[in-house]
Amino acid sequence: MNRLVLLDNEAVQALRDPAHRKHHHVIGYVLEAAKLRARSRAIRIAVPAAVRVEAGWDRTAPAWSSVNRFRIVDIPLDTEHANVAAGIAKRTGVSVADAHLGAAIRAAETDYVLVLTSDPDDMRLVAEGKRVDVVAL
Amino acid sequence: MTAEEAIDRINELLDSTDPDTVNTSMRIPKALREAAALAVSELGVAPSATVLAANALRMLLEGTVVLAALDLHFEKYPEARPSLADLAIALAEIEGSPLAQQPDLLLRSAAEIKRRHPHAEPQDVLVWAEAREYTAQEQKRTQAGQKGAA
Repeated sequence: MNRLVLLDNEAVQALRDPAHRKHHHVIGYVLEAAKLRARSRAIRIAVPAAVRVEAGWDRTAPAWSSVNRFRIVDIPLDTEHANVAAGIAKRTGVSVADAHLGAAIRAAETDYVLVLTSDPDDMRLVAEGKRVDVVAL
Repeated sequence: MTAEEAIDRINELLDSTDPDTVNTSMRIPKALREAAALAVSELGVAPSATVLAANALRMLLEGTVVLAALDLHFEKYPEARPSLADLAIALAEIEGSPLAQQPDLLLRSAAEIKRRHPHAEPQDVLVWAEAREYTAQEQKRTQAGQKGAA
């Protein structure tokens, strides 16, 4: 089974800040995903570009060097994602970052999508019917 | 080179899109090479033994470099280390296991198994919780059957 774990802004903030009350919680997902990856299991943790902008995650900034080492891949806001996200934002009224999360969920070619988020209802809303599992932070 | 520098360089190399290939003088057991060739020709697990080896090596490196980064992180911030229960819940969610919907059961199971097996892994907690769940359901069925017979 091919798995994708997506992070929202709150999950990124929790990951970055060791003093964040959910830091150890999000780190647990990074750790288990890395163990599975090392055993040749198809799993990725990813962050949509618009979420990264909202979170202030600049990969060139020293403040983010630790998080950069966790190999969380970017999902670019390319033409296709921008079109889908624009539609989601218009229909649901969510933020640009959440709309991009929705586009990423809908475009995922994996068997299983899990989102770590502080707003599970919004994630189900932006998935617009696509099967997604949500972990509330 | 510090561990951080090594991790950053490994990540940089793993992300490289450079298509250049190189012949290596890496020696691998002859039997392993033959097994890989058979897996390719007879089982179709990869287009070639080279692709099979490169993919396996890439996945191992991608996982272990993150584990190495996490080790450094936990050295610096010991309180950031997730508990066995945290890891079991994360694993259950990632695996899409129905046990993820029963965090209390996983918390209890993690505490129980840790008492008996201090070095238990998150996967052990899931198996333990599954066994407990199965036993509880069997007991309920037995009791319902006994009530019905009475």
